[in-house]
Amino acid sequence: MTTARIAIAAALAAALALPIAVQAQGNMEKCFGVSKAGKNDCQTASSSCAGTSKKDAQADAWISVPKGTCEKIIGGKLAAS
Amino acid sequence: MPLALRDLQAAFAAHIMSNDRADLIAAVVGDSIPAASRLNVYRHHVFHSLAGALAATFPTVQALVGEEFFRKLTHAFVADALPSQPVLAEYGANFPAFVEGHTVARDLPYLADIARLDWTLNVAFHSPAEGHLDAADLATIPAEQLPSKTVALAAGAGLIRSLYPIDRIWTVSQPGAPTETVDLAARAARLLVLRRPDDASFIVLSEGEAAFVTALDAGRSLERAAEAGFAADAAFDLSTVLARLLALRAFAALQ
Repeated sequence: MTTARIAIAAALAAALALPIAVQAQGNMEKCFGVSKAGKNDCQTASSSCAGTSKKDAQADAWISVPKGTCEKIIGGKLAAS
Repeated sequence: MPLALRDLQAAFAAHIMSNDRADLIAAVVGDSIPAASRLNVYRHHVFHSLAGALAATFPTVQALVGEEFFRKLTHAFVADALPSQPVLAEYGANFPAFVEGHTVARDLPYLADIARLDWTLNVAFHSPAEGHLDAADLATIPAEQLPSKTVALAAGAGLIRSLYPIDRIWTVSQPGAPTETVDLAARAARLLVLRRPDDASFIVLSEGEAAFVTALDAGRSLERAAEAGFAADAAFDLSTVLARLLALRAFAALQ
Protein backbone atom coordinates (compact mmCIF):
# COMPACT_ATOMS: atom_id res chain seq x y z
CA MET A 1 0.00 0.00 0.00
CA THR A 2 1.18 3.51 -0.74
CA THR A 3 1.60 6.01 2.05
CA ALA A 4 -1.45 7.92 0.86
CA ARG A 5 -3.53 4.76 0.83
CA ILE A 6 -2.41 3.84 4.33
CA ALA A 7 -3.41 7.31 5.53
CA ILE A 8 -6.84 6.97 3.92
CA ALA A 9 -7.32 3.49 5.38
CA ALA A 10 -6.42 4.84 8.81
CA ALA A 11 -8.81 7.79 8.44
CA LEU A 12 -11.63 5.50 7.33
CA ALA A 13 -11.03 3.15 10.25
CA ALA A 14 -10.92 6.12 12.62
CA ALA A 15 -14.36 7.20 11.40
CA LEU A 16 -15.82 3.89 12.56
CA ALA A 17 -14.54 4.48 16.08
CA LEU A 18 -15.68 8.10 16.52
CA PRO A 19 -17.95 8.38 19.55
CA ILE A 20 -21.66 8.59 18.73
CA ALA A 21 -22.05 11.68 20.94
CA VAL A 22 -19.80 13.66 18.62
CA GLN A 23 -21.80 12.53 15.61
CA ALA A 24 -25.14 13.38 17.19
CA GLN A 25 -23.92 16.85 18.07
CA GLY A 26 -22.97 17.46 14.47
CA ASN A 27 -26.39 16.34 13.36
CA MET A 28 -28.21 18.65 15.71
CA GLU A 29 -26.35 21.63 14.36
CA LYS A 30 -26.87 21.15 10.69
CA CYS A 31 -29.89 18.98 10.06
CA PHE A 32 -33.21 20.46 8.98
CA GLY A 33 -36.27 18.28 8.90
CA VAL A 34 -39.44 18.47 6.89
CA SER A 35 -42.58 16.55 7.72
CA LYS A 36 -45.44 16.17 5.29
CA ALA A 37 -49.08 15.41 5.57
CA GLY A 38 -50.22 12.41 3.58
CA LYS A 39 -51.51 12.99 0.08
CA ASN A 40 -53.89 10.75 -1.72
CA ASP A 41 -54.66 10.67 -5.39
CA CYS A 42 -58.23 11.88 -5.26
CA GLN A 43 -57.77 15.20 -3.55
CA THR A 44 -60.99 17.11 -3.18
CA ALA A 45 -61.57 20.52 -1.76
CA SER A 46 -64.88 22.03 -0.74
CA SER A 47 -64.32 24.91 -3.10
CA SER A 48 -63.95 22.68 -6.13
CA CYS A 49 -67.37 23.57 -7.42
CA ALA A 50 -66.62 27.28 -7.34
CA GLY A 51 -66.26 26.99 -11.10
CA THR A 52 -70.01 27.26 -11.38
CA SER A 53 -70.12 30.69 -9.82
CA LYS A 54 -67.16 32.46 -11.29
CA LYS A 55 -65.29 32.52 -14.51
CA ASP A 56 -62.29 30.29 -14.74
CA ALA A 57 -59.00 32.09 -14.27
CA GLN A 58 -57.23 30.21 -17.03
CA ALA A 59 -57.16 33.10 -19.47
CA ASP A 60 -56.04 35.66 -16.89
CA ALA A 61 -52.96 37.62 -17.73
CA TRP A 62 -49.89 37.50 -15.50
CA ILE A 63 -50.82 40.45 -13.36
CA SER A 64 -49.52 39.18 -10.03
CA VAL A 65 -45.98 39.62 -8.80
CA PRO A 66 -44.13 37.58 -6.16
CA LYS A 67 -45.18 38.77 -2.73
CA GLY A 68 -44.07 36.06 -0.33
CA THR A 69 -40.94 35.61 1.72
CA CYS A 70 -38.76 36.46 -1.29
CA GLU A 71 -38.78 39.94 0.21
CA LYS A 72 -36.41 38.53 2.81
CA ILE A 73 -33.83 37.70 0.16
CA ILE A 74 -31.59 40.62 -0.60
CA GLY A 75 -28.63 41.19 -2.87
CA GLY A 76 -30.07 39.92 -6.12
CA LYS A 77 -32.02 41.81 -8.74
CA LEU A 78 -35.29 41.30 -7.01
CA ALA A 79 -37.53 44.22 -7.85
CA ALA A 80 -40.15 42.32 -9.82
CA SER A 81 -42.61 45.18 -10.11
CA MET B 1 -75.81 14.29 -33.60
CA PRO B 2 -74.05 13.18 -30.38
CA LEU B 3 -70.29 12.73 -30.35
CA ALA B 4 -68.87 9.21 -30.35
CA LEU B 5 -67.46 8.30 -26.93
CA ARG B 6 -63.88 8.54 -28.13
CA ASP B 7 -64.49 11.98 -29.65
CA LEU B 8 -66.42 13.07 -26.58
CA GLN B 9 -63.51 12.14 -24.31
CA ALA B 10 -60.98 13.88 -26.54
CA ALA B 11 -63.15 16.99 -26.74
CA PHE B 12 -63.61 16.93 -22.95
CA ALA B 13 -59.85 16.74 -22.33
CA ALA B 14 -59.19 19.53 -24.81
CA HIS B 15 -61.93 21.66 -23.26
CA ILE B 16 -60.54 21.15 -19.75
CA MET B 17 -56.99 22.04 -20.71
CA SER B 18 -57.48 24.96 -23.03
CA ASN B 19 -60.24 26.68 -24.91
CA ASP B 20 -63.99 26.08 -24.90
CA ARG B 21 -65.14 23.45 -27.35
CA ALA B 22 -68.45 24.42 -28.92
CA ASP B 23 -69.15 20.85 -30.05
CA LEU B 24 -68.75 19.59 -26.48
CA ILE B 25 -70.90 22.34 -24.99
CA ALA B 26 -73.57 21.47 -27.55
CA ALA B 27 -73.40 17.82 -26.48
CA VAL B 28 -73.92 18.56 -22.78
CA VAL B 29 -77.42 19.07 -21.40
CA GLY B 30 -77.91 22.29 -19.51
CA ASP B 31 -80.80 23.58 -17.44
CA SER B 32 -80.69 26.33 -14.81
CA ILE B 33 -76.92 25.79 -14.93
CA PRO B 34 -75.77 26.18 -18.54
CA ALA B 35 -73.67 23.47 -20.14
CA ALA B 36 -70.56 25.65 -20.28
CA SER B 37 -70.79 26.33 -16.53
CA ARG B 38 -71.22 22.65 -15.80
CA LEU B 39 -68.10 21.86 -17.76
CA ASN B 40 -66.28 24.63 -15.94
CA VAL B 41 -66.72 22.72 -12.69
CA TYR B 42 -64.53 19.95 -14.09
CA ARG B 43 -61.97 22.38 -15.46
CA HIS B 44 -61.77 24.11 -12.12
CA HIS B 45 -61.52 20.80 -10.27
CA VAL B 46 -58.62 19.52 -12.39
CA PHE B 47 -56.58 22.68 -11.96
CA HIS B 48 -57.52 23.13 -8.32
CA SER B 49 -56.54 19.55 -7.40
CA LEU B 50 -53.24 19.60 -9.27
CA ALA B 51 -52.34 23.07 -7.97
CA GLY B 52 -53.05 21.77 -4.47
CA ALA B 53 -50.76 18.80 -5.04
CA LEU B 54 -47.99 21.09 -6.29
CA ALA B 55 -48.43 23.39 -3.30
CA ALA B 56 -47.97 20.40 -0.99
CA THR B 57 -44.86 19.27 -2.85
CA PHE B 58 -43.32 22.74 -3.33
CA PRO B 59 -44.24 24.59 -0.10
CA THR B 60 -41.06 26.66 -0.06
CA VAL B 61 -41.59 27.91 -3.61
CA GLN B 62 -45.11 28.93 -2.63
CA ALA B 63 -43.87 30.67 0.51
CA LEU B 64 -41.30 32.61 -1.52
CA VAL B 65 -43.62 33.92 -4.23
CA GLY B 66 -46.90 34.03 -2.30
CA GLU B 67 -50.13 32.13 -2.88
CA GLU B 68 -51.50 34.28 -5.68
CA PHE B 69 -48.36 34.16 -7.80
CA PHE B 70 -47.91 30.46 -7.07
CA ARG B 71 -51.44 29.78 -8.31
CA LYS B 72 -50.63 31.47 -11.62
CA LEU B 73 -47.35 29.62 -11.84
CA THR B 74 -48.92 26.20 -11.22
CA HIS B 75 -51.78 26.97 -13.58
CA ALA B 76 -49.34 27.63 -16.39
CA PHE B 77 -47.45 24.45 -15.52
CA VAL B 78 -50.51 22.21 -15.25
CA ALA B 79 -51.90 23.42 -18.58
CA ASP B 80 -48.87 21.94 -20.28
CA ALA B 81 -48.08 18.97 -18.08
CA LEU B 82 -50.95 16.75 -16.96
CA PRO B 83 -49.97 13.88 -14.66
CA SER B 84 -48.74 10.80 -16.51
CA GLN B 85 -49.48 8.51 -13.55
CA PRO B 86 -52.04 8.53 -10.72
CA VAL B 87 -49.87 9.29 -7.65
CA LEU B 88 -50.06 13.00 -6.88
CA ALA B 89 -46.95 12.86 -4.68
CA GLU B 90 -45.02 11.93 -7.83
CA TYR B 91 -46.47 14.80 -9.85
CA GLY B 92 -44.24 17.78 -10.52
CA ALA B 93 -40.84 16.27 -11.38
CA ASN B 94 -40.55 18.79 -14.21
CA PHE B 95 -41.75 21.76 -12.19
CA PRO B 96 -38.20 22.91 -11.24
CA ALA B 97 -37.22 22.97 -14.92
CA PHE B 98 -40.44 24.85 -15.70
CA VAL B 99 -39.59 27.44 -13.04
CA GLU B 100 -36.08 27.78 -14.43
CA GLY B 101 -37.45 28.58 -17.87
CA HIS B 102 -40.12 30.95 -16.59
CA THR B 103 -39.70 34.73 -16.59
CA VAL B 104 -39.87 34.71 -12.77
CA ALA B 105 -36.39 33.11 -12.77
CA ARG B 106 -34.98 36.41 -14.04
CA ASP B 107 -36.01 38.16 -10.84
CA LEU B 108 -35.69 35.20 -8.48
CA PRO B 109 -32.72 33.28 -9.90
CA TYR B 110 -32.60 30.93 -6.91
CA LEU B 111 -36.24 29.85 -7.22
CA ALA B 112 -35.59 26.85 -9.50
CA ASP B 113 -32.98 25.51 -7.06
CA ILE B 114 -35.44 25.92 -4.21
CA ALA B 115 -37.95 23.96 -6.32
CA ARG B 116 -35.31 21.24 -6.74
CA LEU B 117 -34.77 21.18 -2.99
CA ASP B 118 -38.51 20.89 -2.34
CA TRP B 119 -38.77 18.13 -4.94
CA THR B 120 -35.79 16.19 -3.59
CA LEU B 121 -37.15 16.42 -0.04
CA ASN B 122 -40.47 15.13 -1.42
CA VAL B 123 -38.75 12.20 -3.14
CA ALA B 124 -36.78 11.39 0.01
CA PHE B 125 -39.91 11.59 2.13
CA HIS B 126 -41.72 9.10 -0.09
CA SER B 127 -38.78 6.76 -0.64
CA PRO B 128 -38.87 3.33 0.99
CA ALA B 129 -37.26 2.94 4.42
CA GLU B 130 -34.60 0.38 3.61
CA GLY B 131 -31.68 -0.99 5.55
CA HIS B 132 -28.77 1.36 6.07
CA LEU B 133 -25.03 1.00 6.49
CA ASP B 134 -23.75 1.20 10.06
CA ALA B 135 -20.23 1.86 11.27
CA ALA B 136 -20.39 -1.63 12.77
CA ASP B 137 -20.92 -3.11 9.28
CA LEU B 138 -17.75 -1.47 7.98
CA ALA B 139 -15.86 -2.40 11.14
CA THR B 140 -16.11 -6.06 10.15
CA ILE B 141 -14.01 -5.28 7.07
CA PRO B 142 -10.19 -5.36 7.53
CA ALA B 143 -8.94 -1.74 7.56
CA GLU B 144 -6.58 -2.28 4.64
CA GLN B 145 -9.54 -3.33 2.48
CA LEU B 146 -11.72 -0.33 3.34
CA PRO B 147 -10.22 2.05 0.74
CA SER B 148 -11.28 -0.18 -2.16
CA LYS B 149 -14.87 -0.56 -0.93
CA THR B 150 -17.77 1.19 -2.65
CA VAL B 151 -20.82 2.35 -0.76
CA ALA B 152 -24.11 3.49 -2.29
CA LEU B 153 -26.23 6.38 -1.07
CA ALA B 154 -29.39 5.32 0.74
CA ALA B 155 -32.74 5.38 -1.06
CA GLY B 156 -34.04 8.93 -1.31
CA ALA B 157 -30.66 10.59 -0.77
CA GLY B 158 -29.86 13.36 -3.22
CA LEU B 159 -27.18 16.03 -3.61
CA ILE B 160 -28.15 19.56 -4.68
CA ARG B 161 -25.69 22.24 -5.69
CA SER B 162 -26.71 25.86 -6.03
CA LEU B 163 -24.93 29.14 -6.68
CA TYR B 164 -27.17 30.62 -3.99
CA PRO B 165 -27.48 30.01 -0.22
CA ILE B 166 -30.64 27.93 -0.67
CA ASP B 167 -30.30 26.36 2.77
CA ARG B 168 -30.67 29.81 4.34
CA ILE B 169 -33.43 30.78 1.90
CA TRP B 170 -35.26 27.56 2.78
CA THR B 171 -34.88 28.22 6.50
CA VAL B 172 -36.23 31.78 6.47
CA SER B 173 -39.14 30.65 4.28
CA GLN B 174 -40.46 28.12 6.78
CA PRO B 175 -43.66 28.94 8.66
CA GLY B 176 -42.87 30.89 11.81
CA ALA B 177 -39.31 31.65 10.75
CA PRO B 178 -37.78 34.78 12.28
CA THR B 179 -37.87 37.88 10.08
CA GLU B 180 -34.19 37.82 9.25
CA THR B 181 -32.90 38.42 5.77
CA VAL B 182 -30.60 36.41 3.52
CA ASP B 183 -27.87 37.97 1.43
CA LEU B 184 -27.98 36.27 -1.96
CA ALA B 185 -24.29 36.91 -2.50
CA ALA B 186 -23.44 35.08 0.73
CA ARG B 187 -22.25 31.80 -0.76
CA ALA B 188 -23.04 28.83 -2.88
CA ALA B 189 -24.66 25.85 -1.18
CA ARG B 190 -24.20 22.10 -1.42
CA LEU B 191 -26.92 20.15 0.30
CA LEU B 192 -27.40 16.46 0.89
CA VAL B 193 -31.06 15.51 1.22
CA LEU B 194 -31.70 12.42 3.29
CA ARG B 195 -34.61 10.27 4.30
CA ARG B 196 -35.00 9.93 8.05
CA PRO B 197 -37.27 7.53 9.93
CA ASP B 198 -40.23 9.92 10.10
CA ASP B 199 -39.36 12.75 7.75
CA ALA B 200 -36.89 14.03 5.21
CA SER B 201 -34.06 16.43 5.91
CA PHE B 202 -30.99 18.03 4.46
CA ILE B 203 -27.52 18.81 5.72
CA VAL B 204 -25.06 21.39 4.47
CA LEU B 205 -21.85 20.02 2.98
CA SER B 206 -18.50 21.69 2.38
CA GLU B 207 -17.03 21.61 -1.13
CA GLY B 208 -14.75 18.70 -0.17
CA GLU B 209 -17.61 16.76 1.40
CA ALA B 210 -19.77 17.35 -1.67
CA ALA B 211 -16.98 16.07 -3.93
CA PHE B 212 -16.65 13.00 -1.69
CA VAL B 213 -20.38 12.24 -1.82
CA THR B 214 -20.56 12.90 -5.56
CA ALA B 215 -17.74 10.45 -6.21
CA LEU B 216 -19.30 7.78 -3.99
CA ASP B 217 -22.64 8.29 -5.73
CA ALA B 218 -20.86 7.75 -9.06
CA GLY B 219 -19.66 4.35 -7.85
CA ARG B 220 -16.07 5.34 -6.98
CA SER B 221 -14.28 3.56 -4.15
CA LEU B 222 -13.86 5.18 -0.73
CA GLU B 223 -10.23 5.85 -1.65
CA ARG B 224 -11.07 7.59 -4.94
CA ALA B 225 -13.86 9.52 -3.26
CA ALA B 226 -11.50 10.62 -0.49
CA GLU B 227 -9.00 11.82 -3.09
CA ALA B 228 -11.78 13.81 -4.76
CA GLY B 229 -12.57 15.37 -1.40
CA PHE B 230 -8.96 16.33 -0.71
CA ALA B 231 -8.59 17.69 -4.25
CA ALA B 232 -11.64 19.92 -3.83
CA ASP B 233 -10.79 21.15 -0.36
CA ALA B 234 -7.44 20.93 1.43
CA ALA B 235 -9.28 21.03 4.76
CA PHE B 236 -11.38 17.97 3.88
CA ASP B 237 -11.76 15.84 7.01
CA LEU B 238 -12.37 12.26 5.88
CA SER B 239 -12.92 10.69 9.30
CA THR B 240 -15.40 13.29 10.50
CA VAL B 241 -17.52 13.35 7.35
CA LEU B 242 -17.69 9.57 7.07
CA ALA B 243 -18.68 9.24 10.73
CA ARG B 244 -21.29 11.97 10.27
CA LEU B 245 -22.77 10.40 7.13
CA LEU B 246 -22.89 6.95 8.76
CA ALA B 247 -24.66 8.40 11.79
CA LEU B 248 -27.17 10.10 9.47
CA ARG B 249 -27.82 6.74 7.74
CA ALA B 250 -26.79 8.24 4.42
CA PHE B 251 -25.64 4.96 2.91
CA ALA B 252 -27.51 1.85 1.83
CA ALA B 253 -26.74 -1.47 3.43
CA LEU B 254 -23.92 -3.45 1.78
CA GLN B 255 -25.19 -5.82 -0.89
